Amino acid sequence: MEQYSEQLNGIFQTLADPTRRAVLGRLGKGPASISELAKPFDMALPSFMKHIHLLEDSGWIRTRKEGRVRTCAIEKQPFAAVEAWLSEQRAVWEGRTDRLELFVINGQKEEKSE
Amino acid sequence: MIQSSNPDLDLTISRVIKAPRPVIWSAWTDRASFEQWWVPAPAKCKVLEMDLRPGGSFVTQISENGGDFMPHLSGCFLAIDDLERIVFTNSLVGGWRPAEQPFMTAIITLQDHPMGTSYVAHVMHKNNADRNTHEEMGFYDGWGTVTEQLAKLVERQS
Repeated sequence: MEQYSEQLNGIFQTLADPTRRAVLGRLGKGPASISELAKPFDMALPSFMKHIHLLEDSGWIRTRKEGRVRTCAIEKQPFAAVEAWLSEQRAVWEGRTDRLELFVINGQKEEKSE
Repeated sequence: MIQSSNPDLDLTISRVIKAPRPVIWSAWTDRASFEQWWVPAPAKCKVLEMDLRPGGSFVTQISENGGDFMPHLSGCFLAIDDLERIVFTNSLVGGWRPAEQPFMTAIITLQDHPMGTSYVAHVMHKNNADRNTHEEMGFYDGWGTVTEQLAKLVERQS
């Protein structure tokens, strides 16, 4: 659980902002340059770059610089991380239910044999 | 039942257990019994508090690899319906005091079944994004939709 929780905090917190969601929405259609991404927003470039860095740090996007142009692309990994964390939780609860089942069934057998 | 579902962050474990409801209820609510199955062996569980009433404290410890007992679950019961339902959360501790690190609410339901008892654990998780309120409200309401849409877009791309 711990393994994912820190990364997940970043993943969820990054999504908790309309600008970053809009950027991700745009990148869902395909890679784009920073200037192209910044265009729809009434925002100074340094402020916009903060959003880009957050997206990159949390793993939602990757960026690549070619010459003077930095291109951003969306990453699939965060989706996998959310799924992995949830399936880990599922395994914990499945395990508990298995053990509860064994516990009550074994208890009943003992009662019968006594 | 007042219950909303967020398929992204909820999980449901459903099982028919071949034992009568009172037996399962007692395995859950008797401390010594509960300690026998709550954590996977060789880890050991110790129930410090199990105050079976709404607002009642629910605190367990775990010992792994024969080490000292460490905090495990620290929460509070929200509902105890005899032989039917147990609801607890770690968003609150005993006496409904807000917890440091809220995380989940679990609803355990027991129902008679021709083969024994239908046992359902429905676990709801916090999305970890509700820290700074206003700006994120829009997100909180719609995060399932947002990720679903994004997932579709990403899938289409690959």
